[in-house]
Amino acid sequence: MQFTEQKTNDLLQPWKPSESEPWNTRRVWHLHRRAGFGATWSELQRDLRDGVDASVTRFLQGKARVDGVPDDFENIVKVIGNVARSSRQISQLKAWWVYRMLFSPDPLSERLTLMWHNHFATSFEKVRVVRMMWQQNQKIRTHCLGKFNHLLSAVIKDPAMLVWLDAAANRRTHPNENLARELLELFTLGEGHYTEADVKQTARCLTGLRVHGGQFKFTPEHFDRGDKKILGKDRDFNCDELLAFLATHPETAKRIAWRLCDTFLGENVAQKKHIEQLARLLIKNKFDIRSAIKTLLRSKLFFSDANLKSQITGPCDLAISTFRALELFDHSPDTITIAWQIDKMGQRLFEPTNVFGWKGGRAWINTRSLVSRRHFVNATFAGKLQRSKHKIDVGKIVSRNKIDPAKTSEFFWQLLTGTVPERFERFELKHAQNTVPEILASTHAQLQ
Amino acid sequence: MFDRRSFLKSSSLVALSPNVPAFLKQTLAETKAEHDEPILVVVELSGGNDGLNTVVPFGDDQYQKNRNKLRLPEKQLHKIADGIGLHPSMKPMAKLFEQKRLSIIQGVGYPNPNRSHDVSMSIWQTARLDKAEHRSFGWLGRAIDALPQPRQNAPAGMLIGRGDLPRALCSRKSVTTSMAALSDLMIEKPKRMKMMQQKQSNDLSKFVEQTETNAFATAELLSEISRRQKASKVRYPSTRLASHLQLISQLIQADLGTRVYYTVQPGYDTHQSQLQTHSALLATLSAAVQAFLNDLKANRLEDRVLVLCFSEFGRQVKENGSAGTDHGTSGPVFLAGSQVAGGLLGKQPDLTNLVDNAPAKHDLDFRQIYQTILAKWLKLKTDKSFEKSFKSLPLLG
Repeated sequence: MQFTEQKTNDLLQPWKPSESEPWNTRRVWHLHRRAGFGATWSELQRDLRDGVDASVTRFLQGKARVDGVPDDFENIVKVIGNVARSSRQISQLKAWWVYRMLFSPDPLSERLTLMWHNHFATSFEKVRVVRMMWQQNQKIRTHCLGKFNHLLSAVIKDPAMLVWLDAAANRRTHPNENLARELLELFTLGEGHYTEADVKQTARCLTGLRVHGGQFKFTPEHFDRGDKKILGKDRDFNCDELLAFLATHPETAKRIAWRLCDTFLGENVAQKKHIEQLARLLIKNKFDIRSAIKTLLRSKLFFSDANLKSQITGPCDLAISTFRALELFDHSPDTITIAWQIDKMGQRLFEPTNVFGWKGGRAWINTRSLVSRRHFVNATFAGKLQRSKHKIDVGKIVSRNKIDPAKTSEFFWQLLTGTVPERFERFELKHAQNTVPEILASTHAQLQ
Repeated sequence: MFDRRSFLKSSSLVALSPNVPAFLKQTLAETKAEHDEPILVVVELSGGNDGLNTVVPFGDDQYQKNRNKLRLPEKQLHKIADGIGLHPSMKPMAKLFEQKRLSIIQGVGYPNPNRSHDVSMSIWQTARLDKAEHRSFGWLGRAIDALPQPRQNAPAGMLIGRGDLPRALCSRKSVTTSMAALSDLMIEKPKRMKMMQQKQSNDLSKFVEQTETNAFATAELLSEISRRQKASKVRYPSTRLASHLQLISQLIQADLGTRVYYTVQPGYDTHQSQLQTHSALLATLSAAVQAFLNDLKANRLEDRVLVLCFSEFGRQVKENGSAGTDHGTSGPVFLAGSQVAGGLLGKQPDLTNLVDNAPAKHDLDFRQIYQTILAKWLKLKTDKSFEKSFKSLPLLG
């Protein structure tokens, strides 16, 4: 496919600040909430000062965060990961991931790991082995900004995935279509771009994949040799050839482009033509995810007014950004309990709803999840989500960030919702402790 | 009957809120106050219920001969047919049977019965005999996938209780969840709510605000429902199963939109000294189901609800050496609610034709019961995923 650059009115072109669309706190906040999981006030101020290029580059370089990031972050996550694997408790692994989301210097990689976890939705409910879930998560993280064909191959030849989609049951003599169907429908082409016959033929290519001793193994005796006709191509496809073929298919490019837009843009922001344009860019750059994300995060579309506050805040977004914004680093956040609260709000990490993953968007919001969101805010302020059970004092961050106490209301509204609402009741510093939870539970905080 | 309309009209919340909750709007507009989608409540009797000591064939010599320590005295049984009686502790269910609010189906099983808890439970939960498909979708999961999406983003299926979601609810695309207590939905109206009442400009924030108003209204409604329940004549026994069914009743009354509820009563794996344990289990089940139906009836909701009680297998005919019973094959299934046909269906198990001490043949396939529920109750087209088509049974009124 030929990549044709549309010079005029191209919303994927780099955004430039202007008088009507300035680089302001609102947009810095927006960048941090979408590309990462929110920011502290000083990180927002730093990026406001340094401009849009420097800020986006920081995300792509894995340096968007500094506050609260421990010097020996890599060592700590290694230790927590080991503990989780030997505990065999999925709650411990959830806590490990929450720790990464909270303290990693590279929030974009965590955002993308979460996105691909949802794309390749695999659940511990069926896999039952913590080590396999950890391993898959690490693989996704390694490839999250790389080439899509590498990512796809890593995730398909992955023990957790093979258990999840019954790969061992798929043999030459006894085909099982589960993996083949999801590979075509969810991981690559998308619904409507293949036939039932393609599913059957794809299943044949995937015979012989299994898990042995906890590791991926290919057993040639179960592999179904011979010609297969897939999407009109006649070939003696093996698994690698099949994956390479699917990973670089134009329909796959569209589906990946859609996934990126769904993650980084709000409701109804991307139109079909934008997705197609991003898909062409992916094809041109040999399915390089990093360059697509760079284009998207830097684009006019991303910083347009229409894209601001147009996405429902997800459970991880709400939990992690609250801890980051309020700088709750000092009293050891109880990551097991935070993960449990995220579960209650409807996002059970490592246990997505089903093969479709979490639907996201409006589906995050229902009677029960809104109640859980309030419970989360209340628990945070009661100090229940810190191991020390230290009651939090929001007044502290006002002085720490040298905010004029007279501007307390504006400060918290901006910090927690990105913007000061047109109409609001002012409150004094001494009332912040009671009012800030209300801001966090308000409609404004459910949008980002 | 609790009048939701007048309660909600007088609710402080409605006066306060700029958005009238969606379901309230409907309630106020409709003369027929409630939605009328049928609801299915499944009670899993986990562990393998001793069917022969539940629906007791006391008239059968083989029963008398094979059950020694576990034989139930004829005069204590609640007779439901010639030579057949319900366990002595099942008086509430006997009453429901009399009132035609309970259908009992005997000898329910499937071909080549498996006596492993895990395998047999998977067969019942997925309605698939092939082990390779046991980690796939459940029969209820497939059903909710085929039903219209519930209103207000409500979960389509819900486990009431702690523990993992049952395989039966595993769906390809529907949202399912679990809940163990009413407190998961209870929330106090914030004191400073007024501050938050903004005129929301865009559609997305309107949606959030509307759902939030619904959440407060639901919480208010639920606390009112539970207050009224305490004041009413309906009494739930203080057992875990009863509290789970009570919670289901409260959610149905609050019109949450969920179509399938699932709950588990564990403990039926009675390998030793079963007499007392089993009696207590059946008493709990029986009383809880009765309280649940009476509660629904008092709220004019019984017509909308069907209860299904099943177990993964029955137990062996001859008791074992430790006054218990070991894993068997087919067993009885219960369907309860005002819409059931009532009566006793299926043939009494043939205790002379045994394989490894359990009935060799089942009379009815459990998938016929599922088929009936899917087609006649949930009004779905035939579940294509069943291996062959099963005929509906005359189980519903």
